[in-house]
Order: sequence, then C-alpha cells, then structure tokens
Amino acid sequence: MAPSKSRPTTTILRGGRLIDPASGLDATGDIVLEGGRVAEMSTARGALSTRADAEVLECSGLIVTPGLIDPHVHLREPGGEHKETIATGVAAAAAGGFTTVCCMPNTNPCLDNAALVAFVHQRAAAAGLTRVFVAGAATEGRKGERLAPMASMAAEGAVAFTDDGDGIESASMMHKVLATCASLGKVFMQHAQERTMTAGGAMNAGAVATRLGLGGWPAVAEELMVERDVRINQGIRARYHVQHVSSGGTVEILRRARAAGHTVSGEAAPHHLLLTDEACEGFDTNAKMNPPLRSRADVEALIAGVADGTIDVLSTDHAPHSTDEKALDFASAPFGIVGLECALALYAKALVHSGAIDWARLIALMTINPARLLGIEATGLGSLRQGGPADVTVIDPELAWTIRTADFKSKSRNCPYDGWSVKGKATAAFVAGRRIL
Amino acid sequence: MTPPKRDFLQIRGLSRDRLQELIEATLRHRALMSAAEDPEHNWDWTAAPRPLAGKIIANCFLEDSTRTRCSFEVAAQRLGATTINLTASGSSTSKGESLADTARTLAAMGVDAIVVRTAASGGAMLVADTVDCPVINAGDGRHEHPTQAILDMAVLSEWFGGIEQLVGKTVCIVGDIANSRVARSATHALTTLGADVRLVGPPTLVPPSLAHLTQRHGTVEVHHHLDAALDGADAIIMLRLQLERAAGGAVANDYRTHFGLTPHRFSNLPATTPILHPGPMNRGVEIDNTAADHATQSFVTEQVGMGVAARMAVLMNLLNPSRLSCWESLTQAVR
Repeated sequence: MAPSKSRPTTTILRGGRLIDPASGLDATGDIVLEGGRVAEMSTARGALSTRADAEVLECSGLIVTPGLIDPHVHLREPGGEHKETIATGVAAAAAGGFTTVCCMPNTNPCLDNAALVAFVHQRAAAAGLTRVFVAGAATEGRKGERLAPMASMAAEGAVAFTDDGDGIESASMMHKVLATCASLGKVFMQHAQERTMTAGGAMNAGAVATRLGLGGWPAVAEELMVERDVRINQGIRARYHVQHVSSGGTVEILRRARAAGHTVSGEAAPHHLLLTDEACEGFDTNAKMNPPLRSRADVEALIAGVADGTIDVLSTDHAPHSTDEKALDFASAPFGIVGLECALALYAKALVHSGAIDWARLIALMTINPARLLGIEATGLGSLRQGGPADVTVIDPELAWTIRTADFKSKSRNCPYDGWSVKGKATAAFVAGRRIL
Repeated sequence: MTPPKRDFLQIRGLSRDRLQELIEATLRHRALMSAAEDPEHNWDWTAAPRPLAGKIIANCFLEDSTRTRCSFEVAAQRLGATTINLTASGSSTSKGESLADTARTLAAMGVDAIVVRTAASGGAMLVADTVDCPVINAGDGRHEHPTQAILDMAVLSEWFGGIEQLVGKTVCIVGDIANSRVARSATHALTTLGADVRLVGPPTLVPPSLAHLTQRHGTVEVHHHLDAALDGADAIIMLRLQLERAAGGAVANDYRTHFGLTPHRFSNLPATTPILHPGPMNRGVEIDNTAADHATQSFVTEQVGMGVAARMAVLMNLLNPSRLSCWESLTQAVR
C-alpha cells in the first residue's frame, strides 16, 4: 500500500487483536486515532463513540500494536548517500512497519556534536515518515580518545551514546563514557569487539573460514569486551547495552550479569537469529557482517536468550552498502546487511514460528522494550494508551510473501534473503495518526 | 546452444574421475616434454602441432609469482597460444581498480582465457562470475591453488607407480597451513584420491579447525609435533614459511628446531620418502640443503617441470577439448 502523506485525520482501526505489552492488553477491540493521539480504545463491541468522517480500517484477523521501534539502524547520511539517505532509510523503515528508529553515529562526519544531531532531526522531519532518534558518538570522531560533547547532544535530543562500528577499546575511556552516560541518564550501547582478536578477520573463526581461507573473527572478541564492561560498570551503574549480540557466550555473560542485578541488556538482529557462517560459502559478501554470522549453537543460544528474557530487545542493525561495494572480493567488501523491510517476517520465522516465543512477546521486544532502552517510553512511544501518540502498526501474521530485494525502498540490496518465502508482514502503520504504510 | 563455460577454480568438490583425468593428462604432457629433451627421440617442439594457435591467454598476476606465472606462460606457448601479462604494479589495479573491473576489461578485449593470481581468497571465483571466458585459478589468497595440487599429485603418482597407489598412503604437509592455498588444494586432492593427510606445524599456524577441511575418502589429522607426524609418513610436502605473514608474531624463533626438515630429521626418513616443496624455499628455515638438494628424494625440480605439464593439461582441457584426442594420440605415440 502506498504511503499517504495526507493531513492527519480520524482513523478507526476496527476489530483487530490489540496487543499492548506495556499494559498487558491482548484482546480484540477498536482504536481511534485522532489529532495525532490515541483518542479512544475499547475492547467492548460497539462501545466507541461514532464518527461520521472517520476512515475505517477493518483489522479483523490482524494484530494492532504500538508502532514498531528499531533501536539500531544506519541511515548513512551525511557522507554515505550512495548507500542510503535519511529519506530512503525512513522509507525502508516505514515499509517494514517501523514508526520509530534510532540511527547510529558512524556517518562521515560522524554524529559527535549537537549540530549534527539537529541536522539528522531536520532531515528526518523533512522526510516525514518514521520518527528518527539519534544515538550520538560517545567519543570525538569515534576515535575512543576524548569524550564527545554528550551533554550538549543529549540537550539536542540524542537518546543514547555509542561508538558503534567500533568498540571503546580503552578501559579507562570506557569508564569515563559510562560515568557520563550515568549522569545524563542515557544508555550506552557497546559495539563489543576486542580489536586485537579480530585483526584481518572477515568472518566467524571456524571450519568454514578455514576452508575458504578467510581470516577468522572469534566470538571471544565480543565476549571479552562485554565481560570487561560489566566489571567496569559495576560501581557506575549506567545502563549498559550490548548491540547485535552474536555469540552464545555473550548471552551467558548477560544472563549472569542480569541475575546479579547489573543494569545490562542486549539486542539480537534477524540475521544472527537465522543464519550461520555456512552462509558465507561461495564467498557470498551478502553474508559478511560485523559481528559475523556464527555457529548453529550460537543461533540456538541467542534464541534461548530471547526466550528467557536475557535478550529483551530486537534490532535490525540495518547497514546498507552499494552493490559495487559488495561486489568486491570477500575480504575487501564492507561489513553489513540491510534489514528494515523484512525484519518482522524474519523475527517471526526465527522466534514465533519456531515456538520460542509468542506474538505478544515479539511485540514487546519490538515496542515497549526498545522504547525503555532509548528512554522514550514516557512520551508514550512503545505503548498503546488513550491520550498517547497515535503511533500504531497493523500486522497480518498469516500473510505469506516473498522477499524481493528489487522492491526495497532502501537504496541498498545487500542481504542474502532475496527470494525467501516468509510469513507475517506489517500492512499498515501510523505515525502521530498519519498513515506511513 | 553454447555449452556452459568451463573454469578451473578449485580442487574442492572435483570428482575423483575429473581429478584423475587431469593428472593423467599432466603425465602425458610431461612425457612429451621429456621426449623433446631426449636426443634419443627424433622429436622436438618445432615439430609439434599448435592446438591453441590463435588463442590469447591473459596472465593476470596481481600478486608476486615467479614459477607459476612463467610456468603458465611456457605451457601456453608450447601449445601455440600467445600470452599477455598483467601484473599489479604497472596496471590499473595499482590505481585502485577492482578485481572485477580489471577482469571485465581483459574480457572485453576478447582474450580466450584468464589465468588469475590474487591475494584475495575467493578472487578467482569472483573473476569467473564476472567474465564469459574460461578462468583458471593460479592461486587466490589463502583459498586454493588447484594447478599446484594437480602437479603435486602427478609427481606423487609417478613416484608411487600410479594414481591408484595413493590410496592408503599417508602424506605430511608441514608448515604454515593456515595461510596456505597449496595445503588446502593438496589436502582436497589427496583425500579425494584416497590418501590420508597429516597437517603439521605449530598451533598458531595449524589450528584444530583444519581437521574439518574436507570429508572425502582420506582422513585429515592435525599434528603439532613433527617427529611424531613423520613416523609412518609415505611422502612429505614442506611449505614455505611465509615470513611476510609472520608479522603477527605467530612464529617463534625455534621454528626450524621443531618444524624444519633438518639434516638429522631427513637422515631418519626412509630412503624412499619423497620430499616436495612448492617453492620458493627458505633454505635453513623450513628445509635444509641436505633435503632440498637430495639427488633421489628431493622432487623440487621435478615439480617445476611437472608444473608446466599440469598447466598444459588444464589449458587444453578448458580451451580445446575437441582437439584433445588428436593431441593426445600424438603424446601417446611419442611416448
């Protein structure tokens, strides 16, 4: 369905399965979007006040949820506009049913000051589809040498801090960053990669890398940094979040840390929940990502981590790269995979159809949990409640479709999913009551 | 209908029959070369047909090479083809042109085959996916070096008295296995032909994951103690210690003591154990002169000659399968 840019009107979503994990609601009902807000919600048949001029969307058999939130995307602007722009990135997000995304700062120049945070907000507002929040760089130029002006960026609206694309190598700098994040009440998101263990690495260290003659990138590189950070954060108690968890070992570290009361969390991406390093056979650069695809045991450990709540947020790590860049030889090609437009179906395949979790839990991992991670839940994003923002996604859980990368709204096509038959799709989405899908 | 393009990219996945076909063709070409060198035979290359006359073969060597590049060149010219040579320095690759674009450019000039050597693992496959002419892998990064494996198998077959004699033999490959395309291709070939392989070296150069390299008829074992590995070995392939890769500190200065083919170790081997080395050798590091230059046990020079034969066999196989039979009857006759 083509996104409509018409002015906000009154919309009634009728007869859908309303799932709001924040309040525990899971019942058939109606919801009225008006003036950018949720004007009314009812699970009693015919209880809504009638509105003659309202658009009515029949949602019988569909799931109506808070707008989906992706806390980890790369929109590439400024500096990487041949891969993606903020406008094409939010178009991809909208097509995937996401009403809010949080973009990473590894642009060129990188988002390490308030002016660039404001720039992203302006571009996103001009695009007018999915809401965009910014994760600012924690250190100047993401170099890990000197603190970035995090307080100024926070004042400009940055919701999180990270040097994503790189981990913060120095333990001492990590301490400073966590202390600053704690004082600002913002989450720190770590790209966990101990660099001395990944030099020359192009894919998971293991039998496939050995066979192909490609440099290995061991799981311990991720685990080491997470272990260290949990230790550093012990006395600081900042909110510490591990991005794109790829290793079962990391899941175990997070499980223990959470049980011990540490303020830590972790996210998983669709590719790490579905694919293994076998996907790199034939030197397929679409299977090259950072962190790399790992073993079947890691995939199973990640799914178990999602099922028991150790991993409580899902993110795509949408990382567009041009076809030319991905046409280089495997070691030279850039790391990354796009994900926004097929994420929901892939999560459903990995987690719901496999029986690991149910739809209500999946919705929580894509709505209220990322909202809390980003500290935006107080605005009402991530939940469905009367008077809250009219950010809503409608999902057809039974819709079977085929992923066609040629149809992507994203500028880039880099993923190994072309031609996959999947089930489950967002069929409508609203931001502040305005339809974006 | 045009038949599907034929490439020669890797040993992994080749059937035993296909491998045998190439090794036998290599041995026939080697016999022809011997005949040309032998004054007893009233035959030399001036009398030879030119089965690849009119063909142009592009040797695209983006990584340094002496023997492989020259060997492909000699092979092509013996068969009547002309060659053009492209190296990394002095070509557009030094200006940042991608491997695929370089290959596309060569193909657009209408060359009949591209022989590619690149530092990129998977680079030969990338070229083959890009162009319509046959592509031969002359070594791609740490991935494979399939013509080296063909020539090594031909040398071993000749020594043991037939390809089928390799079944049940144990071959040690010693050195920097992790970084070696030669070791990978040789392991795929040996295990396909029924030989068992011991990969030998320090754990930093021979990680345990190498034991899962392949699952063919022969077995693959990882060994970190050379003397134990040599016990019962029927043949030894020594690899060059890639000193340029040793920058990561993965090689200790006691390498020779523990993994070199020293005079002492060599003297303990049966006199029938052949020693192969793909070259170039680091004398005094992985191999000492006693072994490297031994009159009957060192096959280093024989490997170079067999290398030309192997490349002739592969070029003929890819470029002129229809005339293969008449060319082969000649090689039979000369033999």
